Amino acid sequence: MRASASSKSSLCYSLLYCLFAWLLPVLSYADAFGVEVKNAEMTLQGNSYVVSADIDYQLSARAMEALQNGVPLYWDTHIKVQQHRDYFWDKTLINTGIRYRIQYHALLNMYRVRNEGSGELYNFSTLSSALDLMSTIHNFHLMDKPVDTSKERYAVGIKVTLDRDALPLPLRPVAYTNPQWYLSSDWTLWPLTK
Amino acid sequence: MAFDKIKPPISLSILVLFGLILLLLQLMSSATQESSELSAMYSWLLLVNALGSVVLLGLVGVNIYSLARQLKKREAGSRLTTRMVSLFVVLALAPAAIVFYFSMQFLHQGIDSWFNVEIDRAMEDALELSQASLDQRMRWHLRQTQQLTSKLVESSETQATLEMENLRELSGASEMTLFSRQGRIIASSSINPGDILPSLPDEHTWLQLRQNSEYVALTPVRDDELMIRVIVTVKAKEPQYLQALYPVPVRIADLADSVEFAFVRYQEMHFLRHSLKLSFSLALSLVLLMSLLAAIWVAFISIRNIVAPVKALVKGTQAVASGHYDQELPVMAQDDLGFLVESFNEMTHRIARASDETRMAGIEVENQRAYLETILANLTAGVISFDAEHKIRTANQAAYRIFHIHVNQFVGRTLLELVENYAELAEPLKSIQRLLEQADDIWQQRIAFLGPNGRQELLCRGTPLFSQEGFRVGAVVVFDDVTDLIQAQKNAAWGEVARRLAHEIKNPLTPIQLSAERLQHKLADKLAAGDADMLQRSTTTIVQQVEAMKEMVDDFSEYAKPSKKQTVDIDLPHLVQGVLALYALRSGVKFKADYDTGLLMIKGDPVSIRQVLHNLIKNALEAINTKGLIEISLRRVQKNNTDFIEIALYDDGPGIKDEQIEQIFEPYVTTKAKGTGLGLAIVKKIIEEHGGAIWVDTSRKVGAGFIIQLPACNF
Repeated sequence: MRASASSKSSLCYSLLYCLFAWLLPVLSYADAFGVEVKNAEMTLQGNSYVVSADIDYQLSARAMEALQNGVPLYWDTHIKVQQHRDYFWDKTLINTGIRYRIQYHALLNMYRVRNEGSGELYNFSTLSSALDLMSTIHNFHLMDKPVDTSKERYAVGIKVTLDRDALPLPLRPVAYTNPQWYLSSDWTLWPLTK
Repeated sequence: MAFDKIKPPISLSILVLFGLILLLLQLMSSATQESSELSAMYSWLLLVNALGSVVLLGLVGVNIYSLARQLKKREAGSRLTTRMVSLFVVLALAPAAIVFYFSMQFLHQGIDSWFNVEIDRAMEDALELSQASLDQRMRWHLRQTQQLTSKLVESSETQATLEMENLRELSGASEMTLFSRQGRIIASSSINPGDILPSLPDEHTWLQLRQNSEYVALTPVRDDELMIRVIVTVKAKEPQYLQALYPVPVRIADLADSVEFAFVRYQEMHFLRHSLKLSFSLALSLVLLMSLLAAIWVAFISIRNIVAPVKALVKGTQAVASGHYDQELPVMAQDDLGFLVESFNEMTHRIARASDETRMAGIEVENQRAYLETILANLTAGVISFDAEHKIRTANQAAYRIFHIHVNQFVGRTLLELVENYAELAEPLKSIQRLLEQADDIWQQRIAFLGPNGRQELLCRGTPLFSQEGFRVGAVVVFDDVTDLIQAQKNAAWGEVARRLAHEIKNPLTPIQLSAERLQHKLADKLAAGDADMLQRSTTTIVQQVEAMKEMVDDFSEYAKPSKKQTVDIDLPHLVQGVLALYALRSGVKFKADYDTGLLMIKGDPVSIRQVLHNLIKNALEAINTKGLIEISLRRVQKNNTDFIEIALYDDGPGIKDEQIEQIFEPYVTTKAKGTGLGLAIVKKIIEEHGGAIWVDTSRKVGAGFIIQLPACNF
């Protein structure tokens, strides 16, 4: 059910990286960090397609340090459905997602996760439990109208990104140039079948 | 030109560019404020500014490269541009670098000064104080709730339901719930009657509750509200849990929030300290870089504009130096340089005008010179000018014609040098040289010499030339070939003599002769035989001498009388052949005739020409006496672009003595015992009447030779 991942990096990020790479020392890649979409599937429940996925968040030391020091991190889980076209770019039918904000509260010594879409708040005394909440996408409602997979080819994709533009301003140039802040996952795409 | 018209002025472009750069830098500066709406665009602004810097760097680089190439080619104005740009860069860079250095120092020290150990500790203490305060409150609420459980230990579920409201109000909780171990709600009471469903503990709370049998924690209810959740075990028959939610007083919550906010903010700042320095340094560097690069670029453009008239002036000057006076430089501005350019234009106009005038004057002088040269060339008199060293500077055609010396051997040499190559001219050349050296004033001298064409007589007039300072700078010698003139004068004189002789001498001769004959006739019979014989001899002698005298006078008359020529075309070989036929029978004399092929015709009187030949042959025959050779040749020659027929007549007789050569053609000059001395004089006269010339060929060493040249008849 898995398809190979394709990566797209935006022009802005690449150019900034090129420009400032020489300003900063090359940092070690020794630590394994980053976000990975582990299991993702789309199922038909009645007339609706729902997506479920497990996402593995492995924060880098730098990101962890920032979080511990009260810097809120914004995570976007992008979910899209694409219709394949032979002679043109694939048509994006659905492009939706979930946005979480995770922040450490020193007074209560707990991690607070907030779903930016619904406004729901969750408090956790440990980081792992906070990340666990964000890790699980359970029956995320994608679309109602079933598509005819026998005629057209469709693909579903999930990608998790760290919104670096939401980081505090002084951190942004660093975030664009330091690999410790390259936490976003690649697109995980798989064909949609009945 | 059209492009120039639609192109905006440079100053406007520069203003727009600077405006754009300032806007970008201002935007970036605004974006660095966390609260600014531009904050989201910070990365893009940073990128755009960086790209702008790269573009400016490229522009400056292109300008530097172009300047370097101009320098290498040593183009006009390139060195001035380099000097001005270098000066500007040094002047702009030095203060900018100083300001940059101190700004960075202040920035780093400023940021570092925000943080120190005391503040760190104070912040942590403040947080701890808040936590302790809240902790105390929690413990108090725990105790309070535990006390409440005693009232529920013995009560049934119904009683508990009834009691719950009282207990809640008593404790001051906002919500109170009793639930079983399985989570079933037994009784609940809320300050807000609208809340039907009480807030139940989550899994994590359950876990803690089961472990510790009680639970107390601060729970954020909404974003800005804190609750103290207390859950204690009610030790009844079936263990139950009593949960109470106590609101934290607004004041305390606010204070705690404030402390937490400050702490988090401080911690965040502390964490971001290096990033902050980096990002400010980056912004500052970008601002400086962009401003400097833009300034340098604008400096390049401005300096190029300033140097442009100088460049044009240098090019114009070079053009003028190489002789192009039609330089008109554009006046770009009404400043000092504009004034300079205008002055340059006026100067070139004046130079061009002066140059035109000079050229015109030169042409005029040249025309005058050519005119004079034409006149001089067409003069029959020879004119030679000398420099101070008596070297020939100029000589006209007539001079060459008179001396028969080729042009290229004439100029730049002294007369004495010419003597070496032209020995036959030694006499006149030396005489002229001597006069040149000696004379301080105008001199005139008649110089006679024997040239290749026979005896020549020159009338020379010399004028020394002096400079304005009185130094001698040369001389001009004018000379006429007066040979013909003098000859004509002599001829005229002899003609007059002949006429007088005819008139004065011949007239008395006839009476003398008649008287002598009459004496003979009358006295012959009357005298004795001896006397008669003497009379006979005397009268005969008188008559003979009178006859001879008459002949002589006739010859003179013949010589003196004007020619009565009948001009016809004469075929010379035919005529010569006819004359020679008359002498062919003379024994002992050989005739050798040699004619050129082709036509050898002249125009003239055949009787006169025949007489010329007779006279010459007769002379030759007399010279060689009885035995010898007479050669006659006829050939066509060219002299002064005119065709002549040359008749050369040679004999192998004793020849002519050098001292006689000069006078041989003059009347009454003879080497013979008998003869009137008019033969050659008549020959010369006839030849000259036919436009020809006769001279003695002095180059011949054996016998005598005469050369006659007569104009050829061209058909």
